[in-house]
Amino acid sequence: MNASFEEKSVWIQLVCVLGTFILYCLIAWTMLSHGVDTLVPFVGVFLSTVILLVILLVVGHLLAALTGRIEKPDERDRLIVWRSESNSAWMLVVGIFAAITAMLFSLSNVWIAHILILSLYLSQTMQYLFQIRYYRRGV
Amino acid sequence: MKTPKPGTQSTITNSIRALRHQHNEMTQQDLADRIGVSRQTVNAIEAAKYSPSLEVAFRIARVFDKAIEEVFQFHAP
Repeated sequence: MNASFEEKSVWIQLVCVLGTFILYCLIAWTMLSHGVDTLVPFVGVFLSTVILLVILLVVGHLLAALTGRIEKPDERDRLIVWRSESNSAWMLVVGIFAAITAMLFSLSNVWIAHILILSLYLSQTMQYLFQIRYYRRGV
Repeated sequence: MKTPKPGTQSTITNSIRALRHQHNEMTQQDLADRIGVSRQTVNAIEAAKYSPSLEVAFRIARVFDKAIEEVFQFHAP
């Protein structure tokens, strides 16, 4: 792969975040369909997927470091991060407003928490996709 | 040297690839190491996919011992 360490890092983060999010969604959906409607049981599942995410990220970055040259982020990397964050932050804002709206309609805490988690994951995924686009097509 | 694309947008082209060849076939990695960016960033600059900061542009010009406008060319619409 003709990519800098920073670009490889973005690919690793994208794959790991998507993988753990899909896993969390599958488990959470199964719990919801079995009538779990309190937030506490989901906390353990969420923390487990976060720990799994951290482990996968560490392993992924170790492999990338062992198979290629490690370079510090340069001005192009920083510009790409800044632009990608700027382009994807609105998704998190939408999630926060959606959660506030859900509170107004007295939805359960489980749904409000999942609206926030969903917007966080979508915002992060969108940022990675923008970063890859800028690395591939120019910024 | 790259030619500007037709259209209404201004473009910045550069002569880095030609200058590298004139300087003993300097590699992108050599240039990247000398100006403090990654090889992929040098590649992106050469391909006009990224316009470097003024500081990096001056560093590139200094490596080739040229004036900045001999390395980078601005084309207004």
